[in-house]
Amino acid sequence: MTSNLTSIKTKLEETQNGHFVLRMEHINKSFGNNTVLRDINLIINKGENLVILGKSGTGKSVLIKCIVGLIEPDDGKLIIFGRNIFELREKDLIEVRKKIGFLFQSSALYDSMTVRENLEFPLKRQFDKIPKENINMLVKEALQNVGLAEAIDIMPSELSGGMRKRVGLARTLILKPEIMLYDEPTTGLDPITSKEISNLILEVQKKFNTSSIIITHDIECARLTANRIIVMKDGVCCAEGTYTDLENSPDVFVRAFFE
Amino acid sequence: MEKIILQQPQNETPETGVPQIFSEAVTQPAFKKFFLEIYSITIFTLRFLKEVLKPPFEINELAKQSFLIGYGSLPLIGITGFIIGLVLTIQSRPTLAKFGAESWLPAMVAVSIIREIGPVITALIFAGKVGSGIGAELASMNVTEQIDAMQVSNSNPFKYLVVTRVLSATLMLPILVVFADAIALSGSFAGVNLKGHISGYLFFSQIFQSLEFKDLFPAFIKTFLFGFAIGLVGSYKGYNSNKGTEGVGKAANSAVVFASLMVFIIDMIAVQITSLFQN
Repeated sequence: MTSNLTSIKTKLEETQNGHFVLRMEHINKSFGNNTVLRDINLIINKGENLVILGKSGTGKSVLIKCIVGLIEPDDGKLIIFGRNIFELREKDLIEVRKKIGFLFQSSALYDSMTVRENLEFPLKRQFDKIPKENINMLVKEALQNVGLAEAIDIMPSELSGGMRKRVGLARTLILKPEIMLYDEPTTGLDPITSKEISNLILEVQKKFNTSSIIITHDIECARLTANRIIVMKDGVCCAEGTYTDLENSPDVFVRAFFE
Repeated sequence: MEKIILQQPQNETPETGVPQIFSEAVTQPAFKKFFLEIYSITIFTLRFLKEVLKPPFEINELAKQSFLIGYGSLPLIGITGFIIGLVLTIQSRPTLAKFGAESWLPAMVAVSIIREIGPVITALIFAGKVGSGIGAELASMNVTEQIDAMQVSNSNPFKYLVVTRVLSATLMLPILVVFADAIALSGSFAGVNLKGHISGYLFFSQIFQSLEFKDLFPAFIKTFLFGFAIGLVGSYKGYNSNKGTEGVGKAANSAVVFASLMVFIIDMIAVQITSLFQN
C-alpha cells in the first residue's frame, strides 16, 4: 500500500513536470446495479508501457474503452495531453482521439475488405484528398512494420489469429498514434505467437515512442512488455509496481498471477 | 429475475384470475419494452435523417451496397414474380369463366399485380432476403467489435454502414418491383396460354388499356416507403444488437418479422391515403 502511494506520488510529481500523456482521476462506472470501476486513478508517462493485470470481468476492458470514448464513465476526469476530454467539444475530441490507437481483443478487422482496404479505411477518413500513391506507400510501410507485407491482398478470413492481430496493429499504427491501447493482445494465441506479439509491442514502443496501456491476464506478456504493472480486483486498482515488485508482493491475490 | 418472482406464492387478481405478480411481471416489462423500442427506433430514424444530408457522402459504399442489394436480389425476385403471375392467372380463370368474363383476365391480373400483389410480395421477399441480411451483417460486425473499431479510428460507422444500406434499400426496391411486375405479367401471359391462345400483342395491349396513372403512381411511391422501412429496420436491429452470437440470430430474425409487419402497416396507410384522393 505504501509503495502504491509512493508510486502515485512520484507519478504526480512527473505530471507536474509535464511527463505524463494520460491521467485518470476518480473514474467510476456502473452498469445498472453492477459497479465495474470504482474510483480509478492512474497515470501513463511518455514512452511507458503500463500493463493492467486482472481476472476476467474486473473492468479492465471497460477502463480502456472509457479512454477512447466507447464507454462513458459516470464521473471523474480523463486528462489526455493536458486536456480533460469530458469537457471538450466534438471537434476537439476528434483531434485528441486521432492520437490514440486501439488494438481490439478480436482484432476487429473488417471482414468484407481485404487487408489493404482495412488499412486504407482509417487513412482515407482521417486525411482528406490524400494521393493514392501516398496511401499505397503508407499501407506497405505499416504492413512491413508488422512483418506481413505479403498479406496485402488477402481477406481477413484467410489469416491466422496471430496474423489478424498483426494486421489489426498495422491498421492502428498507420495513423501514427502517440498512445496505444492493447485489449488482451495475446488472448487465444499459442505461446510462440504470443511472444511474437509481445515483442512487437516492445518494438512499437521503441520505434514510435508510444505510451501504451496493455490489458492482459497473460503473465508472460506482462513480463516482456511492462515498465509498470497495475493489478485490478473488483473494479479497483489494488496494487501497482514493477514486475519484480509485484512478483514478491505479500498480497496473496497479486502473487497468484505470478505463480 | 422474473422467473424467481413466478415461483413465489401468488395472489390472483379478481377480474382475470391471473396471478397478480405474474401479470405485473409479464405485462409491465413488455409494455415498457415496446415503448422503449418505439422511442429508440424514432431516435435512430432522426439520426439517419440528420446524417444523410451531412457530408462527406459515402458514394462508393452506396454504389457497392446498391449493387449487392439490387443485382443480388434479381434472380429471387424474378422467379417469384413469374410464379405469382402464372398462379394468379391459373387460379382466377375458373371464377371469371363462370361469369363469362374470361376476356377480362389479363386486365384483372395486371391491376392486381401492379397495384397490390407485386409491391407487397416483392417487399416481403426483400425483407426476408435484404432485411435479414443487413440485420445479421451489422450484428456480426457489432459482436466482433468492427463497429467499435470504425468509431475509434474517427470514422462515422453510422454514416458508412447504416445510411448507405438504408438508402440502397430505398432506391433498389422500386426498381425491383418494376422488374417483378414485368416478369409477373410475362408469367400471366404464359398462364393464359396454357389453356387457350392469345397473342402477346393482344395480351399486353389489353393490360395497357386497363391501367391508369392512379394504378401506377401510388403503387410505385409506396415501394420507396417499403424499401426505407426494410433498410431502416434491418439496420436498427443489427446496429443495436446484443453482444454475443445469439444477438446475430435474434437481430436477423426480428429484422424480418418487424420489417414484414412494417410493410403491411405502410401498405394499409398507403391504401387509405390513395382511396381518399381517388374518391
